[in-house]
Amino acid sequence: MPILALDTTMQACSVAIARDGEILARCHRPLERGHAEELLPMVEAVRRQAAIEFAELDLIAVTIGPGTFTGVRIGLAAARGLALVGAVPVLGLGTLEVLALAAPVGEPVIAAIDARRGEVYAQAFDGAGEAVTEALARPPSDLPPPPSPAGNLVGTGGALVRPVMPDWRLLDAVQQPDAGVLARHADRLRHRASAHGGPAPLYLRPTDARLPDGRGN
Amino acid sequence: MIVLGIETSCDETAAAVVDGERRILANLVLSQLAEHRPYGGVVPEIAARSHVEHIDGVIGRAMARAELTYAQLDGVAATAGPGLIGGVMVGLVTGKAIAAAAGKPLIAVNHLEGHALTARLTDDLAFPYLLLLASGGHCQLLIVEGLGQYRRLGTTIDDAAGEAFDKTAKMLDLGYPGGPAVEAAAAAGDPDAVRLPRPMRGRDGCDFSFSGLKTAVLHVLAADPPPRPEDVAASFQAAVGDVMVDRAGNAIEIARRRHPGLRHLVVAGGVAANTHLRDRLGGLAKERNCVLVAPPPALCTDNGAMIAWAGIERLRAGLPDPLDAPARARWPLDPDAKPVPFAGKKA
Repeated sequence: MPILALDTTMQACSVAIARDGEILARCHRPLERGHAEELLPMVEAVRRQAAIEFAELDLIAVTIGPGTFTGVRIGLAAARGLALVGAVPVLGLGTLEVLALAAPVGEPVIAAIDARRGEVYAQAFDGAGEAVTEALARPPSDLPPPPSPAGNLVGTGGALVRPVMPDWRLLDAVQQPDAGVLARHADRLRHRASAHGGPAPLYLRPTDARLPDGRGN
Repeated sequence: MIVLGIETSCDETAAAVVDGERRILANLVLSQLAEHRPYGGVVPEIAARSHVEHIDGVIGRAMARAELTYAQLDGVAATAGPGLIGGVMVGLVTGKAIAAAAGKPLIAVNHLEGHALTARLTDDLAFPYLLLLASGGHCQLLIVEGLGQYRRLGTTIDDAAGEAFDKTAKMLDLGYPGGPAVEAAAAAGDPDAVRLPRPMRGRDGCDFSFSGLKTAVLHVLAADPPPRPEDVAASFQAAVGDVMVDRAGNAIEIARRRHPGLRHLVVAGGVAANTHLRDRLGGLAKERNCVLVAPPPALCTDNGAMIAWAGIERLRAGLPDPLDAPARARWPLDPDAKPVPFAGKKA
């Protein structure tokens, strides 16, 4: 059964449809802003290219963050909206996990995103793609020691992490999450999908709201 | 014709189903009040986070309440602005996704048009009519001449009316949101006890200004001993009422120069839920041979039914929107109206 995958969490708008781990159609566009405008027309274009009706989809996969707060919400809102109509389950995967899945199989990987303010969002995975740490928001120098002596660094924060992990290899080709990668792996990970209500967003940072007495949240 | 309406432009997560016979089949509003109360106002990022967590559940419950499937809809309407952009995007993208998946037209609704057309949903009112739109984000007088045809006669040059209520409530320590709190306190107060200005009263035109009134409240409270909060609330509310009657009175005269037969004054927006203001405007209407149309309070504050209804009107006029319809923080009803420098998005 076909799976629709979406990502809008970072500087791209990415949509793919896969069946049995094979990509039927994919569109990946670098995009700083305007995801709310681009996403649904892109979904329609990919769906037509794959010659799939919405009613045929049996799973929707989406990145849940971390990423830009707005981008995280756009992908989730679209996935949850699409899921409502067909009563289809939604599989939410972390943006860092999807980045890590784009690295060569069998080698440890650390996925990192430039989170601004001197921090990265980062998470380590083993060679099988299983997370070995939580997703963290930290300055690169405050990250826990790497789980193995060497491996691959992926994502826009890879270059920021490299100075503190000099023996790790920077995979420049993997910068933005790719809905194609998400769509290919979603079938295998479908047991993690939520049948009722979509997955929750993963912001990793609180809102910047301040209470009237000056305390944070 | 049956349309689903989605509203997420401020701090209400709302969905409703309305049909072409003006029947509201479901109308659900999930308030975020408790989440924002500690901050004394709406925090945009908190609002956006709450909308994305709840909007699909609210829509699902509205559809269940209406006992309809998505295939039975004729369209999906969602607020596309103006409002807090993070929240607007959540509702609009959700609406786009439902429209795409169900193969139904999308209607990207101007939230203000939703308020403006509510009187046609509740009272089947014909165009043209005069509208006083007063909420936390806006305070304007418009002639509603037709669908998508609005002529702004006046607007606030600084604060919105609801904002003045919120700030006054804060100064009086009455809690949040300020509208209902000030109204409740005012019920036990003397509206003549405290002297407050009536900004703009007696001037030509229909513009509003509330920031001076807010400052006057601050000065009054500095007295020793300070006046009773109830008296300040009642006096403040009376001042807002006097200003609104004066401004709306001018608007009726101006509107009648264009439309001599104009007979309806409509109030909409959250501030229109205030009973004292409704009574004052009702008095004005009577005096000017007008009929006041005031939708029930639940349809004056933000809701999905008004968005669904605006969607029905636009769909009937053959005005659906494409799936790349933009979310807009600012979207004036009357694009020809002059910008007001200090009112920003509120104008």
